[in-house]
Amino acid sequence: MIQILKVTGESLSPFFLEGDFVVVSKIPFVFQRIQPGDTVVFRQPGYGTLIKRVERISPDGEQLFVLGVHPDSTDSRQFGALSRRQLIGKVIWHIRK
Amino acid sequence: MIYQFLSTLDKKLGFEKADAHCDIPCGIYDPITAQIAAVTVVRMLDLATDLEAKGGEKGKDYFNSMSRYVAVKEEHAEKAKADVRVIWGDYIKAPHLEKFPELHGLVHQIMQLGSKVRQTTDRQAALDLVEAINKFAEIFWATKNIKTRRAKSPYNPPLELVYPVIE
Repeated sequence: MIQILKVTGESLSPFFLEGDFVVVSKIPFVFQRIQPGDTVVFRQPGYGTLIKRVERISPDGEQLFVLGVHPDSTDSRQFGALSRRQLIGKVIWHIRK
Repeated sequence: MIYQFLSTLDKKLGFEKADAHCDIPCGIYDPITAQIAAVTVVRMLDLATDLEAKGGEKGKDYFNSMSRYVAVKEEHAEKAKADVRVIWGDYIKAPHLEKFPELHGLVHQIMQLGSKVRQTTDRQAALDLVEAINKFAEIFWATKNIKTRRAKSPYNPPLELVYPVIE
């Protein structure tokens, strides 16, 4: 499955800018290929739907530590690692503004 | 073209938002504050020159006005430097520097000119500061894929400033 989302916020600037569109893949077998450096969209309680870069993945592959690139980004440094069930998908196409 | 198509679809359907969230309202960067501060430096120098040209006795009124012009010049020269440093330090990232390798040198030039206009009454240095920050503004808006135009500021001194073209 595929979903189109619109980017808000600046924590991934200059890689993703406010107003850009992203296409995320929700297909499970693509999930297996998530690696550090990939950009993912996920739901985080209290924060809503977020987009961040994967910094590292736990050895069992179930926990993802995500970061923004901006010094003030809210990410795993505040809310900890996220589990795979929080994932909406991996960004497979980035349409710049 | 694809972006325009998605943008039209977004207006009709309203795609879900993926928030690249920050803990404070980051992303509010605009070099216009530094540009205005630099123009203010030129304005204070002009006012100081006019006051001196009046001649006459240099009493307390003269020193009161002159000291205020100098104080505001000091303040705004420092503000121009600080505002540029914030954008350079917080917003500018490695990909920007790859695309605009002259940026570090330009920021260093702005810091030097900012100090020079504090130390002296050199109007040309103040004009150079305005122009250096104009160049910085052009690069800043280019990183956001926003076009710019140059126009005379609508106040004294009417110097050419770089403005974003926002549709």
